[in-house]
Amino acid sequence: MDETTAKIKGFIVEEFMPDVPVEDLDDDFDLLTGGVVDSLGLLKVVAWLEDEFDIGVDDSELGPDSFRTVAAIKAYVDQARETAHAE
Amino acid sequence: MSQTAIRSLAAHFDEQVERQAGAPALIWEGESISYGELQGLADASHAELQDARLPEGRPVGIRAKKSPEAIGLIVACLRSGRPFLLPSIELAPETLAQLFAQAGTSQVLSPHGPRSQSAASLRALVDEARAAPETAGAEWPPAGGGDDVTFMLTTSGSTGLPKVVPLTASGVDAFTDWAADQFEIRPGTVVANYAPLNFDLCLLDIWATLKHGGCVALVDQDRATQGGYLADLINDNGVNVLQAVPMLYRLLIDVHREDGRTFPSVRHAITTGDKIPASSLAELPTLFPNARFYNIYGCTETNDSLIHEFAGLAEGNVPSNVPVGQPLPGVIVRLQQDDGTALEGTGTGEFMVWTPFQTRGYLKSSLNEGKFVTLDDSGDGRTYYKSGDIVRRHEDGTLTLEGRADFYVKVRGVRVSTQVVEQAIQEHPAVVEVAVIAVPDELAGARLHAQVRREADAKLNSLILRQHCATRLARTEMPSTIEIVTEPLPKTSTGKVDRKAVAAALERSRANG
Repeated sequence: MDETTAKIKGFIVEEFMPDVPVEDLDDDFDLLTGGVVDSLGLLKVVAWLEDEFDIGVDDSELGPDSFRTVAAIKAYVDQARETAHAE
Repeated sequence: MSQTAIRSLAAHFDEQVERQAGAPALIWEGESISYGELQGLADASHAELQDARLPEGRPVGIRAKKSPEAIGLIVACLRSGRPFLLPSIELAPETLAQLFAQAGTSQVLSPHGPRSQSAASLRALVDEARAAPETAGAEWPPAGGGDDVTFMLTTSGSTGLPKVVPLTASGVDAFTDWAADQFEIRPGTVVANYAPLNFDLCLLDIWATLKHGGCVALVDQDRATQGGYLADLINDNGVNVLQAVPMLYRLLIDVHREDGRTFPSVRHAITTGDKIPASSLAELPTLFPNARFYNIYGCTETNDSLIHEFAGLAEGNVPSNVPVGQPLPGVIVRLQQDDGTALEGTGTGEFMVWTPFQTRGYLKSSLNEGKFVTLDDSGDGRTYYKSGDIVRRHEDGTLTLEGRADFYVKVRGVRVSTQVVEQAIQEHPAVVEVAVIAVPDELAGARLHAQVRREADAKLNSLILRQHCATRLARTEMPSTIEIVTEPLPKTSTGKVDRKAVAAALERSRANG
């Protein structure tokens, strides 16, 4: 597991399902359908991402699909960092 | 149902005494009490009733824990045609006193005699309650008269004073005949009595049995959660008929898993009072190799109204959503839609019912509004009881329970039944029991919290459970928080999961951070 994915999983498990071992959370588990993250939870995730990875998340990008799975969140982080480097 | 005329409970008990005085009527703490001996207990109580020179036609109160003496006291009341209020002894003394005052009881009796210390202090409380302005003026007699009233039971009432439900002799007579016919209760039949004495369930397992000459094996209330004791009671006495809430079956399953015991004497196993989990149902044929299995649906106001017999449980034919069943003979069902019309065909509606056993209404007639409804369009002048249960009628005519009308909560503006959520979680094989409660939330209106007890040796966490629920529930139905525990969830006095206690514990733990 790469470092970014591990961090994301660690946060989600600690925050939303402390009884679950990190390794049980699959990259493509649907966090929204599974009820793990609801709209309020999504705000927590975004605040943490901004803080942890020093990226800005535009409100307009707050569509649920960007954060539906751990894999989607990682892809979002990677892209945001690349954009930041390019600038 | 038998075609013979309905027979009176009291008269028929006397007949049993004449016919088979030496036959066992009760089994209590391992001892057998014959019909003749029970008659003796009833005679003693009857003499006390005479000595007390009670005013004619006024009810008495009975405060009694389950015992042969308490049953003798009730027989004495039935024989002398004296109405009696039989509330739960677990109620607070002040609540009991209010109920006794409301029912206009002239005396509160207990099998330990009217002169016992606790009886005296309760009497003082009743006098006080009688004088209090809010209860002054007893509600006795009920609308429709009190002449033919026998048992007065109370609803388990979630809030406020329990409601008093007067039952008529004819209703009790008709019910006890149905029950004996349906479950083959006759001389030689042993019927277990699990419920406390004040429960309507006793009309089946105690009163139908004594009326028809069978033997009642009484479960001591103080040991009602001890699986080993219950298993012994069933096997030592050769119990043939068993009626209980799902909790009893759960306890017996645990015993079976531990020592492999089965219960071959049981011919009819009835579950009632709560929805039995499919995981429990699936194991019943192993525990009871010679039994037929039933779910019964009813309430104190109407007594039993629906019955479902499970077919093919042993062959793995286990419904995840237990049908509530078919109407008992003479019972009329109506599913009322939101617009007030009766549902024809498939769909959901509030369950309304008329039964031959039902009360004419609560003792306090002001409580009847909205609960007992006489419908003009039915044309039969019958008064239906509105159960508050939402029921679905399927294409094949079977009825299933969707939930209590009052279990519906709004989550993000969407109507959600916490019972539907509980049902979905319960379907996971590692789940023993579950309580889903609505927690008030500023943003969502309400959020759902699930408290789940898993099998001790099962691997289950919130992620596994969420994956399980994702295919069964809508987004709004998915609990926001799931807590998984191994210890039993709190139960009410009736053995159902106590959601209020779960909610209170959750609130306490939140308050403590």
